[in-house]
Amino acid sequence: MVRLLYAALVALVGAAIVHISVLLLLPHFSDRDAWARLAEAADYYKPVRIDAAAGEVPIVRSLDPLFYASACRFDLSDGPVRVHTPGNVPYWSVSIYNRGGQNVYAFTDRATDTGQLDVVVLSAAQMIETRKQLPEEFRNSILVEAPVGQGIVVVRSFVPDISWQPTATRFLRNLACSRS
Amino acid sequence: MLKTVLTIFIVICIAVLGGGASVWYMLNAKESVGAVTVGRWTAFPEIGTPDADPYAKARIAREGVLALGRAEGLTFTAQRDTAGDALRRECSYTIEGPVPPARFWTIYAADANDAIIESRKLRPSALHSYQLLRKPDNSVVITAGTNPSPGNWLALSGEGRMSLVLTFYDTPIASSTGVSDIELPAIINAGCNG
Repeated sequence: MVRLLYAALVALVGAAIVHISVLLLLPHFSDRDAWARLAEAADYYKPVRIDAAAGEVPIVRSLDPLFYASACRFDLSDGPVRVHTPGNVPYWSVSIYNRGGQNVYAFTDRATDTGQLDVVVLSAAQMIETRKQLPEEFRNSILVEAPVGQGIVVVRSFVPDISWQPTATRFLRNLACSRS
Repeated sequence: MLKTVLTIFIVICIAVLGGGASVWYMLNAKESVGAVTVGRWTAFPEIGTPDADPYAKARIAREGVLALGRAEGLTFTAQRDTAGDALRRECSYTIEGPVPPARFWTIYAADANDAIIESRKLRPSALHSYQLLRKPDNSVVITAGTNPSPGNWLALSGEGRMSLVLTFYDTPIASSTGVSDIELPAIINAGCNG
């Protein structure tokens, strides 16, 4: 009887250990996370549409049907990444995610004075270098210091009705995601 | 000897299967740690941020979700109506009540796999606050169901379980600490087909 209780206790503790290890290891070994899905769809610095309107199956789940969205992967060890697109849509927002798909920085079009999307993502060291002498092309950009090495930039654009679809499509098609 | 080996084998089996199954169960549960509940609406303000708990982190890694940032908005999901019954696609629901301040908000219905329920009609499958008809006191009443209805109609189709997804964009409720103080609309069952 004591032996059986002992075995049950060992099984329970073992189950708890397995539970915790699976939970903590899952984010590191998932091949279905946003990064893996984007890597399958496009290379670094290549914006790709992630909403359902662009294809049959959305690359990233749980997106609002009234939104179009594009994502591009970047690696800050190659230098700062600049994301910009001309044009105006009723609402846009930019999110920066780390390698694990966690949102580390987000802002909307209200963060700019002109409503134009022009963002430069930099690491802390690149920020210091850039601040010393601001390059001419960054003059109107929002500089974002992100605590990430590799990451994902997502641009979301609100599509209030069908008449806005061409504008929003053009807004995301002209999205440039480039090393500089 | 054989008895000891068998016991060890069974103990290991229980540990591995029990541990794996419990993680699987926790990740599929809709209500989880870190949830903020207002009426029947549930939100996860910290999901997809580095402050999230390990369960939320594992869930976004497994499902490939890129969650909205706090500055972007906050999503509430309802699985049940105000009376406590599960939401069904063959029923009609009246959604009315106060909404918190936001630049705009959207509402749509999702099926059991969190995929959007298409209206299958010449109607958008989601509504947003800029297009809604309002009453003289600026309040909004939305009717969700398969049968056409006057006013603000969120067109549904099909049968089975569903959830309602209400997202507030560019809202102070996501960034302030007062998420639990807000009020959200009630979901009232207005009758079912068949």
